[in-house]
Amino acid sequence: MTAGLVNAKDGRAATSNRVRLDVGPFSLHVEHVPGLPLVASRAFVRGGARLEPSPGWSHLTGRLLAEGTRTRDFAALAEDAESRGAWQQAFGTGETFGAVVDTVSTDWRWALDHLLEVLLEPAFPEERLDWLRRQVQAELESMKDQPDIRTHLAFLDQLFAPHPYGRPVQGTPESLAELTVEACASWHRRALGWGGCLCVAGDVDVDAVLEHLEPRFRALDAPASEVPVPPAPIDAERRREIDLKGSEQAHLFLGQRTVARTHPDLAALEVLGVVLGSGGLSGRLPLQLREKEGLAYHVDVSTAAGCGLDPGRFSVYIGTSARHLERAEASIRRELERLLTDGVDAGELEEARGYLLGRAPFRYETLRQRVELMAVAAIYGTRDDDPEWWPGRLRAVQLADVERVARTWIDPEKLAVTVGRPLRQPSA
Amino acid sequence: MTQIPAQGAIADRPAALLGDIRRFIEGVSTRRLDNGLDVHVASDRRSPLVACAVAYRAGTRDEDPAYGGVAHFLEHMMFKGAERFGAGEIDRLTQAAGGVNNAFTSHDSTLYYFTFAADRWRLALDIESDRMAGLNLAAEDVEAERQVIHEEISMYEGEPWDMLLRGVQAAAFGRHPYGRPILGTRATLDAIGAEQLRQFHRRFYRPSNAAVVVVGDVDVDAAHAAIAERFTLPSPPAPERPSPPAAERGARRVERHQGELARLEVALPTPPVTDPDHAVLRLLCSVLTLGRSSRLHRLLVDDQQLALWVSADAQQTLDPGVLGMTAEAVPGRDPGRLEAGILDALRELVDEPPSSAELARARQLMMADWLFGHERLEQRAFLLGGASALADLALPVRSMERLLNATPDELLRVAGRYLRPERAVIGWSWPEAGDADDGEPDR
Repeated sequence: MTAGLVNAKDGRAATSNRVRLDVGPFSLHVEHVPGLPLVASRAFVRGGARLEPSPGWSHLTGRLLAEGTRTRDFAALAEDAESRGAWQQAFGTGETFGAVVDTVSTDWRWALDHLLEVLLEPAFPEERLDWLRRQVQAELESMKDQPDIRTHLAFLDQLFAPHPYGRPVQGTPESLAELTVEACASWHRRALGWGGCLCVAGDVDVDAVLEHLEPRFRALDAPASEVPVPPAPIDAERRREIDLKGSEQAHLFLGQRTVARTHPDLAALEVLGVVLGSGGLSGRLPLQLREKEGLAYHVDVSTAAGCGLDPGRFSVYIGTSARHLERAEASIRRELERLLTDGVDAGELEEARGYLLGRAPFRYETLRQRVELMAVAAIYGTRDDDPEWWPGRLRAVQLADVERVARTWIDPEKLAVTVGRPLRQPSA
Repeated sequence: MTQIPAQGAIADRPAALLGDIRRFIEGVSTRRLDNGLDVHVASDRRSPLVACAVAYRAGTRDEDPAYGGVAHFLEHMMFKGAERFGAGEIDRLTQAAGGVNNAFTSHDSTLYYFTFAADRWRLALDIESDRMAGLNLAAEDVEAERQVIHEEISMYEGEPWDMLLRGVQAAAFGRHPYGRPILGTRATLDAIGAEQLRQFHRRFYRPSNAAVVVVGDVDVDAAHAAIAERFTLPSPPAPERPSPPAAERGARRVERHQGELARLEVALPTPPVTDPDHAVLRLLCSVLTLGRSSRLHRLLVDDQQLALWVSADAQQTLDPGVLGMTAEAVPGRDPGRLEAGILDALRELVDEPPSSAELARARQLMMADWLFGHERLEQRAFLLGGASALADLALPVRSMERLLNATPDELLRVAGRYLRPERAVIGWSWPEAGDADDGEPDR
């Protein structure tokens, strides 16, 4: 049960407009959000890439959900949704797979029935697997055309392999070639037993929505099975260089693994991230590398990127001219050394905290954001669905916390470094 | 079990959704200050936030070609300090207040925006009024930012899609400024100094050539008062905008090599966004590619499996622009069939209007998409700023009404006028030599 909610009755926990109901391994989350005649709905199953035995298995299983059910093929599903102006999609991520239906709020019953049909009655048609596999393989090729993404994938592999966070959720061309519809159907069955959540936000009556959903989940026959444990990362190499065809720029990533979503250091790390530059151009690293040295258009910083049930990463990225690579890396290292030596001053802490507190309402602006945050709360066991919870954690962060997490999670001697270097010489 | 509402209820839905859009636009309070500044305020209390945008009626279209990129360069320099807020202050204060800021330069206009919590949004007005009055443009700041833009150019040059679209745009427009890259070229970028930036600012960044938009958790009268109090700069009338040479239309091919996949853009001429036919073209784009049931998605992606995806959209421009149809080819498939499939679909629309079911679906999707796409205050501020810069605030409603009411005869006429394949510029980005086994088709 989600803490911090009031008016608990009949096994439900609720605020005036938000309700959660646990039914077996699934939790149902509904929020009434007036203002626009819309509803967003999402189903998430705890069978993401982090648990899969073969790369791409979960992602392909997720995407196959919309390719046909016991009673309708993919075209009939799409036609039904789109003739009402509804948007449907199926997905697979690192933590979950599932489906999405967003539409006008008067259609909420139809939307939930459609979502449940896709989630619980998929047919996994063979011919659609062949085409989807080919699509996903081509998407992997397309990603390789973007030099920054190509370098980033090498960086993730370096930091996380063999853990699944170290590879694209799409898998590899080789692993995709071996996946079968039987494997996907089997993964789907197993994962339903591990549970998940269904989240709904919009101009809807929360009680009516729960009454509509609850019997379906009560009737769900999903046998429990042992949840796999993902392999631990191995620090194989400290520095990696890759060649980039067709790129004018060099791409540089530096980083280290940090914390999972539920780790108590997360709030202090987020504050530290803003000090370093995750909040925009006035952070230390963008200020130095872009504003003072003019080395880049983009300088990205994160202290817990990709964190989920397993640890995410501290990372600094810069895309710059190849002739400036060494200078850029030296500047980044200098700033990190300065952080560890001199710490953070109180003014920086307050500005960083002010930024994150000011940003907090932005997280709940859209219905799609709200259902995603409900899912975050359900899957990770946090209280991200409560708009007061994260600001409270931020307010509790002290200067000593920020300096401690910097020393704990950032070690310039142990940073993994990935360099994507253009084969073609820059034109200027 | 699926519940099917009465067909009438579904068929009437686009008109009901248009009511939501119309209520938003009609709820905007508009005033013009004595100095000519247009002010638009909409109270929207769904979130405790306020988005503030300033749109200038100046962009790449207004540049001297010798200094191509000056509009975009100036956009960067607007964050480098003016009289009250010095270099670095704008970003520092935005961050400390937990806000966001950014800006976009297009060929026709330039838009700046901030979003803040509702208790501190007036900081946006303080910053915007300060930098509208004049900029510092210190030599060292200009030089540092020039290097940043060189890196931005390099970043786009590494992206096959960006380079293809740029090549097609150049071929479609010839000497018209829409054919020039918004960032300029490296040569024109190097030619720009503080003086050119100052001149562009002085000429175009004046109250009579701008609109301030505020959307969010505000009291309308208090917001108007706050704006009037700050934007007191006297202003000569809005400058005459240049009359660019006409685009050089005609069929052409653009071919380049980059990356590992084959990518296609088919560009067709369109009228300006203010022309009633423009909305009809957007409806036809949706019939072709919006959603999985659309003609080309069904044909080229799901049935023939020639494309990973296919998309179409008509640029919203002050002068006649282009409608771009783009697709990413599936490796190992004949890309010639992909091109032919798109051109055949255009011919079909020229010969016969879409079915009533296709039109109903496209309209449903467009209206729902609009609402989901404008949930955020910032998106609503962009909409109003863009409409104000290009025409007037009623433009989005006129456009929606037009696409909801267009008759089959009108669709046929518009398709016949604009969607003729013989007028297309066709651009291909092929895999680099030796990358893949699916290069150009034999021709």
